[in-house]
Amino acid sequence: MTTSSTLRPGVVDPGPPAPRPPRRRGDGAAALAFLTPSIITFLVFVLAPTVGVLVLSFYNWNLLSDGTFVGLDNFDRLFHDGRLLGVYGSTTYMALAILAVNVVAGLLLAVLLETRMPRWLRGFFRLSFLFPFVVSASAVALIWRFLLNKDLGLVNYLLGLIGIDRIDWLGSSAFAPVSVIIVNSWKTIGFSILVYIAGLQSIPNELREASIVDGANAWTRFWRITFPLLSPTIFFLVVINTINSFQIFAEPRVLTQGGPGDSSRTIVEYLYDRAFGDFDLGYASAIGITFALVLIVLTAIQFWFSRRWTFYS
Amino acid sequence: MSHRLGFWLARVLTFLVLAVAALAITAPFLWIFRGAFSGSDAELYRLPPSLELGNLTVRNFGLVAEQVPYFQFFLNSIIVSTVITAAQLVTCSTAAYAFARLRFRGKNALFAVVIGSLMIPIQVTIVPLFLVMSKIGLTNTLWALIFPGIFSAFGIFLLRQHFLTLPRELEEAAKIDGSGRLHTFVRIILPLSGPSIATLGILCFTYWWNDLLLPLVMISDTERQTLPVGLVLLAGRFSTGSLGTIAAGIAMAIVPVLIVFIAAQRYIVQSIASSGLKL
Repeated sequence: MTTSSTLRPGVVDPGPPAPRPPRRRGDGAAALAFLTPSIITFLVFVLAPTVGVLVLSFYNWNLLSDGTFVGLDNFDRLFHDGRLLGVYGSTTYMALAILAVNVVAGLLLAVLLETRMPRWLRGFFRLSFLFPFVVSASAVALIWRFLLNKDLGLVNYLLGLIGIDRIDWLGSSAFAPVSVIIVNSWKTIGFSILVYIAGLQSIPNELREASIVDGANAWTRFWRITFPLLSPTIFFLVVINTINSFQIFAEPRVLTQGGPGDSSRTIVEYLYDRAFGDFDLGYASAIGITFALVLIVLTAIQFWFSRRWTFYS
Repeated sequence: MSHRLGFWLARVLTFLVLAVAALAITAPFLWIFRGAFSGSDAELYRLPPSLELGNLTVRNFGLVAEQVPYFQFFLNSIIVSTVITAAQLVTCSTAAYAFARLRFRGKNALFAVVIGSLMIPIQVTIVPLFLVMSKIGLTNTLWALIFPGIFSAFGIFLLRQHFLTLPRELEEAAKIDGSGRLHTFVRIILPLSGPSIATLGILCFTYWWNDLLLPLVMISDTERQTLPVGLVLLAGRFSTGSLGTIAAGIAMAIVPVLIVFIAAQRYIVQSIASSGLKL
């Protein structure tokens, strides 16, 4: 949003007063015309379902019979659902790990890409890092299901070469969430790198050159100049990656079916099973609403904290 | 002298890290493409993977369609992604223009609603969305996959941010010429927004090309499925199909996005760099 404020015209010299300024006319009619397509699709496919999920959460309904109004029962059930807490736990664990890989390893790779190198080589690296981002999560998960196979997979073969025993990547509750973390980070890190590259490019070169003249080494330069100026980019990535990684569905669905147990199950998967497996639509809606609230609160907290550490030039 | 040595050491280390990362990211794709051309499952699973290109066969690609209606999936995916992308570019760019340039009552409130809706992901509203679709009789049709994708708060936000960076003088000049708002939008704003529009187009196309949740929920007939579900169905036929066939199915699903992506990736970089995806 910084862009909008910087573009707002500053104080303009009023000049000689015009005799009678013509009344500023709004663009109401034009605005309506330009906004109509979005408003219609928003009302029907965003607002109506949002209201719907609120209403549904007060009902007990399985699609077949008529729904019955049950008040806050569905929300009460949330607190007595032994599995839900575990699913929140595994979702949080996987989401935070994915977030950390994206923000930290993404920054490292983006900074390394700034090294002097031929254009084609930089292009090649950038392209290969970003490529998995555009491939479907289900294709990605299927490929990794081959690679992570305990007995026949390439990953265990390579680990065997350095003397590590076969790991049951997809079938053990310790490693199933790790597999989801690896596969999802592998898929998303290219986007984080790209956003970092854009952020790095917007840092004025003069600052870096000046610090080189001042004799700062690469390490000091990174922490004193690059990092502070990059903080809005880091913040953007933290927010976006948090929201995205809490919402993963396809990777655990295809890789591990959420198992073993609930060790790699995510909230969205759990919601999907309650809604379209059990047809417990009211309860699934209550899960959805509380999940949305969790995301909103998380984002709000991040915005609040960001005032302390992001630096807008 | 030791300074030079340190410099070269850092450089070698940098390229080593980058090369290992690039290899780790691309190797699975190379493996699946190699697997798609392999003649037998034993060959596909050989460890270490064989690098010789002797026993290549294209047989697997033909076999894919015998297992599942692969080309129907493919066509469905193309239709859904293309229609959503085209519709989204129209709705997002017009709305973004209204938010960036027009004066009307309730603008800020309306924009706040748009941004607020970013917080409510489709995963949360999927149940009532399914009910809306079944109410208007669209479940089990491609429309059920297309309509929910058309409105995009992210797209409106992205394009608005870009439109705000365009110099107003250009439009003022057009206004004096007496051209209408639509004319200004089509003739002046859009031609200056190529990279942003390309970025939104690519992000939108790849997102819906890859979506798994909506088709799982909305579509029950196999013939009306899109590729992500289709691939899972294909992989589920372990008993009848060979691994090479599955690999071929995955490889063919990757190629279109790869082409779109390589053709337009410089726009994405350019657009993110200039419009500044910042909060």
